Amino acid sequence: MWHENIDHANVINRTKTTMRQTLLRLPTRNSVWAFRASRPAQIASTRRSFASEASPSPEVYDVVVVGGGPVGLTLAASLGAARTTSHLKVALIEGMDLAPIRNWSPKPDYFANRIVSLIPSTVRLLKEIGAWKHIQQNRVQSYDGMQVWDGMTGARVEFDWNKLWGGKDEQTDTTIAHMVENIHLSHGLLKAIGDLAVQPTMIDKTKVERIQYGEMTGQLDMRDWPVVTLSTGQQLAARLLIGADGGNSPVRTFAGIESRGWDYDRHSMVATFKIEDDSAFPKFAYQRFLPSGPVAILPLPGNFANLAWSTTPEKVTHLKSLAPEDFVAMVNAAFRLSYTDIDYLHNLKSGVVEETKWRESVTQHPDPPQIPVRITEVLDGTRASFPLKMRHADKYIAERIALVGDAAHTIHPMAGQGLNSGIGDVYSLVKSLAEGIRHGQDVGSSFTLEPFQSERYLPNNALLGFVDKLHTLYGFESGPLVPLRSLGVEIINRDWFGLKRFLMSQAAKS
Amino acid sequence: MAASTTCLRCLRSRALPAASNRAFSVLNRPPPNYPGHVPLTGPERLFLAAGSALMSFIDPRRGDMIALLGETTAQPFFITRLRDTMLRHPTGRRILRARPRITSQSLSLPRLRSLPPNTIGATYVAWLDREGVSPDTRADVRYIDDEECAYVMQRYRECHDFYHAITGLPIVREGEIALKAFEFANTGLPMTGLSVFSALTVKADERERLLKVYLPWAVRNGMQAESVLNVYWEEELETDVGEMRERLGIEVPPDLRTARAEARRRKRDGKTTTTTATTAAAGTAPTGDETAKVETEAERAEREQLEIERKAMEILEQADKM
Repeated sequence: MWHENIDHANVINRTKTTMRQTLLRLPTRNSVWAFRASRPAQIASTRRSFASEASPSPEVYDVVVVGGGPVGLTLAASLGAARTTSHLKVALIEGMDLAPIRNWSPKPDYFANRIVSLIPSTVRLLKEIGAWKHIQQNRVQSYDGMQVWDGMTGARVEFDWNKLWGGKDEQTDTTIAHMVENIHLSHGLLKAIGDLAVQPTMIDKTKVERIQYGEMTGQLDMRDWPVVTLSTGQQLAARLLIGADGGNSPVRTFAGIESRGWDYDRHSMVATFKIEDDSAFPKFAYQRFLPSGPVAILPLPGNFANLAWSTTPEKVTHLKSLAPEDFVAMVNAAFRLSYTDIDYLHNLKSGVVEETKWRESVTQHPDPPQIPVRITEVLDGTRASFPLKMRHADKYIAERIALVGDAAHTIHPMAGQGLNSGIGDVYSLVKSLAEGIRHGQDVGSSFTLEPFQSERYLPNNALLGFVDKLHTLYGFESGPLVPLRSLGVEIINRDWFGLKRFLMSQAAKS
Repeated sequence: MAASTTCLRCLRSRALPAASNRAFSVLNRPPPNYPGHVPLTGPERLFLAAGSALMSFIDPRRGDMIALLGETTAQPFFITRLRDTMLRHPTGRRILRARPRITSQSLSLPRLRSLPPNTIGATYVAWLDREGVSPDTRADVRYIDDEECAYVMQRYRECHDFYHAITGLPIVREGEIALKAFEFANTGLPMTGLSVFSALTVKADERERLLKVYLPWAVRNGMQAESVLNVYWEEELETDVGEMRERLGIEVPPDLRTARAEARRRKRDGKTTTTTATTAAAGTAPTGDETAKVETEAERAEREQLEIERKAMEILEQADKM
């Protein structure tokens, strides 16, 4: 599917002439659409002159993106990179200062604590929009294996191509994901935006003061156009307003779209570590499901690794308050000791090193590469946490409104799919916009946006539901579901019916 | 010395996963996880469990059979759960870390005899003396695979006499059954639960007393009390028994010996027409003189029977030690 559609350049080259003809013929040949979208169509044809002639405020933009996180930046870069959408007048609004990200340069022997895992399809899009070449490959760690196991029963799924019957397929790329620092990714995206022929207007260090509908002026009827007022007093009228503004999206609130879901009463604790020499083992991602939430170690280049430990807010507070050496012992224990021990260790304010040393000597646990190698040191100031929740907006679009990324759906991070599905939204949205423009539609009309929603809603809903059920399933400490889930895991792990190979190739392909 | 053996043990336990990759059968038994350990195959475990259950039902004085039943039925789930109960408790953790053993060497019996009579140590030693047993009569655990779980089983076994001491239940079959029911509610070990079935083999009036008084007491107290494995008995020898019962949440059961004596008296009164001695001191143990005075033919026979049973027990215990 991807190859058919994402290759904008090819598609556009092939259809360039037809497209022009279509655009020219539109009002007569496709009159139904022309009438339906008559007002915006007129404005589209005369946009630039109106924009300059109209009263100093609001300034008219085709697309206004609220939010300059990775998803918002990817959207701005993709709109500029795709030929069909590259002529659009785009503005991006971000509350924070983008200069530190733009000027970011890597510190040797240091990795930031906020890391994202980019699946191959995400990387393909980043390559296409010219962002991937700005990512320094020596600070990216890819992995093609995972070790996932149950903290209560030890039942394990090994996604390891070398252990799979039939081995690695030489033809296909078996990479499951690439680990990149958030700031590094944003830096690459900003550079890609800088390379664009038509620069979007980047407005940073500026908050959105309010969003409201425009007014009927002498020449323009902007009553169904969202107008964004910034903290600087500047006003932007948007043919299409895109909310890439996170979980508490102001754009979503403005559109009156309800977002449903629940809080998990869990926080995710992150940190970056130095680890023992692991050159003898393949780079794997590790995740152990404890009843309080999964704990994961993700690989980074060299002897570094990143932690993502979902657990109760009280336990996170405790983990943050521990002395560095006790914290390190605690994380090592989280992959080695029984849940009873881990639970008990959460009550210790000190002496964790001593206690875990004894427990590890009497507890039978697997050795690397089935579990991560020992971590030796936590990097200063990298311990942080954020609350976890599940939210899904009732819809992603309204007239002249679209929601992408966390504004549309917030997911538990255990599968590392939050940003990837956000970038999937961006890809789908840009594709829909290009399709709409090709057919002479207004970029803000629901007709243009509808394919985006219908393509993304169900897959996102399925993913959210699946991850939410996993969270519930692994929340049980005992009871009938514990052996059942282990049985399921065993069946997958034995590669019956080729299930495991299928899952692994899907992960690598996606 | 303890430290050096622990080290050897953990080396061995580390070596196990590699060895256990091969098919485990009678012909290919993996090396022991700790000294004295005998790894069993599934069918062997099943056979030993069934055999020992049958033997202990037929002859409840076979302590070795009861111990074997305990070990073969505790794995995989129950003993781990009991270990986890200890791991969740600070004292339980300390015990697991130090792994103290109760023997006549580790406990100085003469010192215990010199303690005030209401202390746990004095009650324990008085109880040992009265029943004529010694702390050394407990066999080593052999059939539990995990070394730490094996220690938990050992600890449970060695502390069994302390449970007698704090509950005051005697080693007559009735007392043992009541205590086993208490242990089952408290520790969840299957053997203790299975042992309660030997209530089917006691006399009808004893069974009735068990069902009406002692089993309800055992279930209620076993469940509400703190786990008896989380008591560091060696450190509590000078603690007052009442205080310990209160701390654990155990009510004192009615004195079984008194109850038995009274029942016998009532039985005799029923048979004879005399109406004297009906006001035998309730709640206090009858003194030797009193029993001598009112002893009847039937009672003397029973006392002799008990004497013989006790002698037999002693001989068996001697045999166990050898």
